[in-house]
Amino acid sequence: MTFRQFAYRNVVRNRRIYAAFFMASMFSVMVFFMYSMLLFHPKIEDEFLREFAASGMIVAEIILYIFTLFFLFYSMSAFLQARSKEFGLLLQLGMEKKQLNKLIFLETMLIGAVSVATGIFFGYAFSKFFFMIVRELLQLESLPLYVSIKPFALTMGAFFSLFVIIAMTSVVFIREQKIIELIRGYWKTDELQSYSTVKAILGIAMLVFAYGAAAFTSTTVVLALSIVLPPLAALGTYFFFTHSVLFLLHQVRKRKSLYWHPYRLIAISEVAVKLRENARMYFIVTIVSTVAFLSVGTLTSLSSYTGQFREINPLSLIYSSEMSNPYESDHISLLRNELEEQGLSYTLVPFLIKQQTSSFSQNSVDILRMSDVNSLALALGLPLIELPPGEAMFIPYSEDSIGTLKSKEIQTVLEESNVPIRIRGVYPKMLFPSMIIGSNIVVVSDSDYRLINEPFSGRSLIDSSYKFFAFHVAEWERTKSIGLDIDSQVTDAIYDGGFTTLPFYFENPGLNYSVIRATFSLLLFTGLMVAAVLLLAAGSFVYFKLYTGLERDKRQFDVLKRMGLTEQEIIKIVNRQLVPQFFLPWGIAMLHSAFSFLSLQVIWSNLAEVSILSEMILVLVGFTLIQIVYYFLIRWRYIDHVRA
Amino acid sequence: MDEVTKVYEGKVTHRAINQLSFEVGKGEFVAVMGPSGSGKTTLLNLISTIDSATSGTITIDGLRPEEMTKTELALFRRRQLGFVFQDFNLLQMLTVEENLVLPLTLDGLPLDEMKKRIADLAKKLDLGQILEKRPNEISGGQAQRTAIGRALIHQPAFILADEPTGNLDSKASKDVLELLARVNQEQKTTILMVTHDPIAASYCDRVIFIKDGEFFNEIYSDDRRQTFFQRILNVLSLLGGNVNDLSTIRLS
Repeated sequence: MTFRQFAYRNVVRNRRIYAAFFMASMFSVMVFFMYSMLLFHPKIEDEFLREFAASGMIVAEIILYIFTLFFLFYSMSAFLQARSKEFGLLLQLGMEKKQLNKLIFLETMLIGAVSVATGIFFGYAFSKFFFMIVRELLQLESLPLYVSIKPFALTMGAFFSLFVIIAMTSVVFIREQKIIELIRGYWKTDELQSYSTVKAILGIAMLVFAYGAAAFTSTTVVLALSIVLPPLAALGTYFFFTHSVLFLLHQVRKRKSLYWHPYRLIAISEVAVKLRENARMYFIVTIVSTVAFLSVGTLTSLSSYTGQFREINPLSLIYSSEMSNPYESDHISLLRNELEEQGLSYTLVPFLIKQQTSSFSQNSVDILRMSDVNSLALALGLPLIELPPGEAMFIPYSEDSIGTLKSKEIQTVLEESNVPIRIRGVYPKMLFPSMIIGSNIVVVSDSDYRLINEPFSGRSLIDSSYKFFAFHVAEWERTKSIGLDIDSQVTDAIYDGGFTTLPFYFENPGLNYSVIRATFSLLLFTGLMVAAVLLLAAGSFVYFKLYTGLERDKRQFDVLKRMGLTEQEIIKIVNRQLVPQFFLPWGIAMLHSAFSFLSLQVIWSNLAEVSILSEMILVLVGFTLIQIVYYFLIRWRYIDHVRA
Repeated sequence: MDEVTKVYEGKVTHRAINQLSFEVGKGEFVAVMGPSGSGKTTLLNLISTIDSATSGTITIDGLRPEEMTKTELALFRRRQLGFVFQDFNLLQMLTVEENLVLPLTLDGLPLDEMKKRIADLAKKLDLGQILEKRPNEISGGQAQRTAIGRALIHQPAFILADEPTGNLDSKASKDVLELLARVNQEQKTTILMVTHDPIAASYCDRVIFIKDGEFFNEIYSDDRRQTFFQRILNVLSLLGGNVNDLSTIRLS
C-alpha cells in the first residue's frame, strides 16, 4: 500500500463522515458553475439585462466563494478534531509530522477534486434547466445551452485554489498539540462554568434593545438604525451564545425542583456543555441563517412589489404636457402609431387639468372634469360618478389616501374663479399612479368646471392648466417597446437634474414593469440559490459538531443504559438535547429576521406602499419546514449511532 | 447462574463463557477473579442484563432477565441494581451532587426525599465538601466514592462492581473496599465484584475464579484477611497458565 493509497482509503472508508461535507461543497460548486454559465452566456442580447445579470452573478459568485472558503475551513478543523485520536496513533507509530501534513493535504485535495468534478458535472447537467428558468424570468426569446471553456475554467480555477488553501492551512490545527493530547481527544470541561454574568446580561440587553428599536422604528430614524442595529445585534448574539445561554441555564440549575426531573437533569446539563463547546459555531449558524432569511425575504418582498404594481399603476401609458409644449401633438400621434403597429387596442382619455387655490387650506388644487373622469373610469371598468353642480369629490393620490379622505367633507371656494364647492368623499379606486398629478385632486361637475376660467394666482392663464393624456391598453404588459424615444428623453432629463426644463413628462408602466419584474425575479432566484447553499451548510455545521462528539455521547448513553434508562427515555433525552441545538440558532435567526422585517416594512411603506407581511410569513414558514425535515433526518442518524 | 454459555457470533466465533454455574447468596460479598480474557466482563454484562446469554439461565431474586421486555429490564436495573465501574463513568457535565441524584430523578422521586438521601449519603461517604464540584475537579478516590454513592442512592439489592479499584492508588483503594465491605455488612446489600487485584478480593466473603469462561475454583474467607489473601495468591499462581507449566511456588 503506497502512501497515496492510504490517503485514498482513509477518505473512501470514512465516507460517512465526509458525506455532509462533500454534499455541501459539491452543491456550492454546482451553483457556482451554473452562475458562471450564465455569466459567460453569449446570447444575452439586451444590454441592460446583460449588465445586470452579469453583475448579479458576480456578486453571487463572490458570496458563494467566500462562504464556501469559510465553511470548508471550519468543517475541516472540526474533522481533524474528530480524527485527532487517529492522528495521534499515526504519530505514535512513528509517522513524521511532514508525512501527516502530506496525508491531510492529499485527503483534502482528493475530496476537493471529487466535489469539483461532480459539482461541475451536475452543474452542467442542470444548466439547461437553469437557463429555462432564467429565460422565463427575463422573458428572453431563447437561451440555449452552449459549450465554452470559460465557465469550466473559472469554476475549476476558483475551487481548486480554494481547496489548496484549505488543504494547506487546515494542517495548522493539529500542529501544536502533543501526541498524548491527540490520543486523549478534546474533551474539556474547564470551559464549562466560564461565563460572565455581566456579558450575559449585556448580551440579552443588546438583543432586547435591538429588537425594541427595530419594532418601534419610524421613518425618520430607520436609516440611522439600519446602520447601528446589525452590528449591535450581531454582538448581542455573540454574547448571547457564549454567555447568556449558560447564564440562563445556570438559573434553571439552581432551581432544583425544576432541574431534578427525570429527563431535564441530563438534557439541560448536556445542552449547556454542547452550547458552550459550540457557541461560536451556533453564532455563525445564526448569522448565516439570518442573512439567508433576510435576503430571501427582501427579494420576495421585492417581487410582491411587482405583484402590486398594477394596482399602483392603473394606467398603461401616461403623457402629461404643459400648454406651451410644442411636441405634444407629435408625441401623441407617435404613441398612437406605435400602439397600432403593435396591434394593441387602446383608449385615450385626454384631461385638461386646471389649478386653483382652495380657500379652505390656501393650497393649490388640481381640478378634473367629471365627464373626463367618467370616460377614464369607463375604459378601466371602474364605477362612474354623478356630481350635481356645487358638489365635488376627492381623487385619491395613494392607496392610503382612500381611507383618510373617505369621510372628509369640506366646504371651500376656488378663490381665483370664485366657485364655491362642497367636497365630499373620495373616488373608491386609484385612477392615476400616485404623485403623477399633485396630492390635492378634486373632480367637479362639468358646469362648475366651465366656471373656472381665472388664472391661478401669480400665473398667466396658459400656465394655470396642463394637459394629461391617459392611455388605457388592455394588454398593458406588452407596451414595453412603446414610446422608448420619449422615455429616454425623460430619463436623460432626470439624470441631468433638469427635470422641470422639459415641457412634458412620459411614463410607461409596462416598460418599467418588465424591467422591474426581470430584475427582481432574477435577484430572487439568485438569492434563493445562495440561501439554499447557506442553509445546507448551516445544517452541515450542526451535523459535523454532532459527529465530532459522537464518541463521547455514545459512552455516556452506555452508562445511562446500564443505569436503567429505557429506550423511550433515551429518545426523550436525545430530543431534549437536539432540539435546542437545532432550533435555538434557528429561533434566534427567526427573531432577528422578523424584527428586521418590521423595520424593512417601514422603509417599504415609504417607497411603494407595499405590505410584505404575507410574503415574509411564507418565507419563514418555508424555512421552518426545511429545518424540521433536517432535524428529523439528523435525529434519526444520531439515535442510530448512539444506540449502536 | 446455571449452565450459562455466551457465544459471540461474528466473523470469528468466540465462546466467552462456557457452561458457567454458580450462586450468590443474599447479602454476600463475592469477588470474581480470573486472568485477562477469562470472561469476567462478559459475565458482569450478563448479570447486569445489558447482554443476554446464548444458553443457560440467570435468575436474580427469582426474576429471569431473558423473560422480561427491554423496558422491564431497564426498570429492573434502575431499581434493583447498582453499578460501579473501573473508570467511574461519572457524567462529566454534572456536579457530584447531580451525579448522585441522577438515578432518583429517573424515577421522579419527590425533591425532599432526594435531598434527604443525598444528605445521608454525603455523610456516610464523606462527600460533603465536594458536592458542588465536577468530576474532573476531584481525586480518583473521591470520584469512585461518588460512583458508589450513585450505585447506592436508590438502595438497590444488588451491586455490581467492575474493577472498582483498577484506577486508584493503594490508599484510595483501601477506602473504597472498606466502604463496600461496610455497605455489605450494614445494609445487607449483595455485592458482586470483578477484580484483578488479590488485595481487593481479600475483602470479600468468597472468591470465584474463572478461566477461559469456565469455572476454575472458589475459596471462602476465613477469620484473617492475611491468610485469605495468601490463599487467593495460591490459586492465582495456578490460574496463570497451564497447571503443568509452572511449579506452584509458594509466595510468602
